[in-house]
Amino acid sequence: MLLAGGKGSRLHSLTKNLAKPAVPFGGKYRIIDFTLSNCTNSGIDTVGVLTQYQPLVLNSYIGIGSAWDLDRRNGGVTVLPPYSESSEVKWYNGTASAIYQNLNFIMQYDPEYVLVLSGDHIYKMDYERMLEYHIKKDADVSISVIEVPWEEANRFGIMDTNEEMEIVNFAEKPDSPQNNLASMGIYIFNWTVLKEYLEKDNENSTSSHDFGKDVIPMLLKENRRLVAYPFKGYWKDVGTVQSLWEANMDLLDETCELNLFDYDWRIYSVNPNQPPQYISPNAKIEESLINEGCIIEGDIERSVLFQGVSVGKGSYIRETVVMPNAHIGQNVFIENAIIPTNMVIPDGIAVRKSDEIILLTDEMLEEIMQIKRIV
Amino acid sequence: MTASNKEEMKLNKRVLGVIDATTYHEGLKELMIHRSLAAIPFAGRYRLIDFVLSNMVNANIESVAIFPKFQYRSLMDHLGSGKDWDLNRKRDGLFFFPSSIIEGIRRGIGSFSHFAANIDYFQRSKQEYALITNCYTVSNMDFKPVLDKHIQTGCDITEMYHSGKSMQMYLVKTSFLIDLIQTREKTGYTCMSDVVTDIYHTYRICRYDYHGYAAMIDSIKSYFAASMELLTPEVWNKLFQKDHPILTKVKDEPPTRYLKGASVHHSIIANGCQIEGVVENSIIARAVKIGRGAVVKNSIIMQKSQIGDHCVVDSVIIDKDVRIETGTVMTGSNTSPYVIRKGTGQGALMNI
Repeated sequence: MLLAGGKGSRLHSLTKNLAKPAVPFGGKYRIIDFTLSNCTNSGIDTVGVLTQYQPLVLNSYIGIGSAWDLDRRNGGVTVLPPYSESSEVKWYNGTASAIYQNLNFIMQYDPEYVLVLSGDHIYKMDYERMLEYHIKKDADVSISVIEVPWEEANRFGIMDTNEEMEIVNFAEKPDSPQNNLASMGIYIFNWTVLKEYLEKDNENSTSSHDFGKDVIPMLLKENRRLVAYPFKGYWKDVGTVQSLWEANMDLLDETCELNLFDYDWRIYSVNPNQPPQYISPNAKIEESLINEGCIIEGDIERSVLFQGVSVGKGSYIRETVVMPNAHIGQNVFIENAIIPTNMVIPDGIAVRKSDEIILLTDEMLEEIMQIKRIV
Repeated sequence: MTASNKEEMKLNKRVLGVIDATTYHEGLKELMIHRSLAAIPFAGRYRLIDFVLSNMVNANIESVAIFPKFQYRSLMDHLGSGKDWDLNRKRDGLFFFPSSIIEGIRRGIGSFSHFAANIDYFQRSKQEYALITNCYTVSNMDFKPVLDKHIQTGCDITEMYHSGKSMQMYLVKTSFLIDLIQTREKTGYTCMSDVVTDIYHTYRICRYDYHGYAAMIDSIKSYFAASMELLTPEVWNKLFQKDHPILTKVKDEPPTRYLKGASVHHSIIANGCQIEGVVENSIIARAVKIGRGAVVKNSIIMQKSQIGDHCVVDSVIIDKDVRIETGTVMTGSNTSPYVIRKGTGQGALMNI
């Protein structure tokens, strides 16, 4: 069950018209491609995708799941939007309520285990290994955890574990964290346990119906067997403009653990079918990722360019993420920025490095143009 | 949808696409050892057949029959169910009719005996017209005006020309084609060009001159020249148009990665490459690796080939899955590029 209803409000204008899992990433992909590819690479062929916020792009992107080989006769991918029941529409009020309202979907398959995922993260993980661990540990619930830097621990759901990796305490975004094992939002439940506790949670009118805040604490209180599954490797929550930019830049690092060129663990996506990239005689490209359909006539340094991007003569793009079909004119200078999908940057614009990563907007461009006119 | 729009849709549903993929060009034999002409890679991510097939799809042709003969494994693998061309349809779609008979020598496109073996396809199809083409023309061609002219003139055969030469593409009524197929023993015609070149024929044959870009690939020389022409923006823009896309089998390659030391100028690079060396005036296909300090100039490198560190490659066509060992130097010439066959290895000791 893949939770993909996230609004991603800290991504500002990038998520104005689309849900966070549909935000472009890595020169070709959308964020959700990583989780969907992990599913198909782990041998999971039945996936429910729970959507709510701005689902249009996401729904049409997922389609019948053929890009991830999830267009299956039995199972496959099913998009699960909120629906109305007799008299009222029930929105998904929290992660737990989203799954609760789709218990019928899970029941059709009568599974032994249910994997609950989030479509907001960039990582590669074999869920099969985690399930083996879950079975070996004879757990009711397994939660995948990763060590995070101590100073960031207050941004996550933090676990305390004993030597057996049993979870003894769980604190959602604690002020003074006692540990630095963070929940990755990946849970394996025994189906009977999940069903029982979601039903209980639904009856509790004071609950916010969230896995981290309500369901996990309730399971702990009732002494169910919760174990932590330690994950090592690249994992990033790309919830902010800064972290989205950083994760894109990580891909340019030769030592980065997230290898897109790993043929044994492909990241699948809907392929845009554009011609190869054209690099003009004047172009210069250093340490970058560039996708098909690009036409490059300027200088590109440490940047990520999505499909269909054009960069005009005399332009210089440095440490910037350029999203699909953006057109950059001539003699443009841009560094440390994110340029959103379809944006047209007029000739001669300069956007210089500042303290934080700049997410360019049409208003910003308008302002720059006005200043230019006055000058 | 407006009425005229609807009319146009219907009009286009009236044409069958027939691609003759049986051609064997002796001059391309080094690239045809493991594949048919139709499946020769071109422009970094396409195969020759993609151009004519996409042109048909862009003209709303919804039933396409492909007649292959030699080494069609790679062609079948490429086309699959036709999904990438939107031809995996319940009604009509993509049909594949490999040659089941040993044919004699013939001179041109559209073997009637090959068609005769699959006459059911023509008889069952409801489309009024049939467009018969070769598989080796690189072009982004609009077939709609050809059909308009054919209907307007009421000709029996419309033959397409480019630069004064026959393109070996013909538009006919399907019923007329069936007649030609069924009377082939009496008339002695073995293929379409037999009909149009027979000075005693009694048909109305018209000529349609195509003035856009087209390259017929029939030798290593023309293959190399057409590839290098892609580097001129005028040709590139004529072939690759947003509303008339050339479609191909998609691969899940990541974007191309330029590492430290990469220096790329005037080149066409497909996805999934990892480049650490110098690339100039070249066409680099999907998932090619170019090692540190390597220099690739005036060359065509096909899918998944690897150029080792410090190699120098100039005026060479390197087929798929070739490994060039570290430090190898190989140079061909502009007029006769050196061809490295698919799946081979080249070491420093094998210098040429």
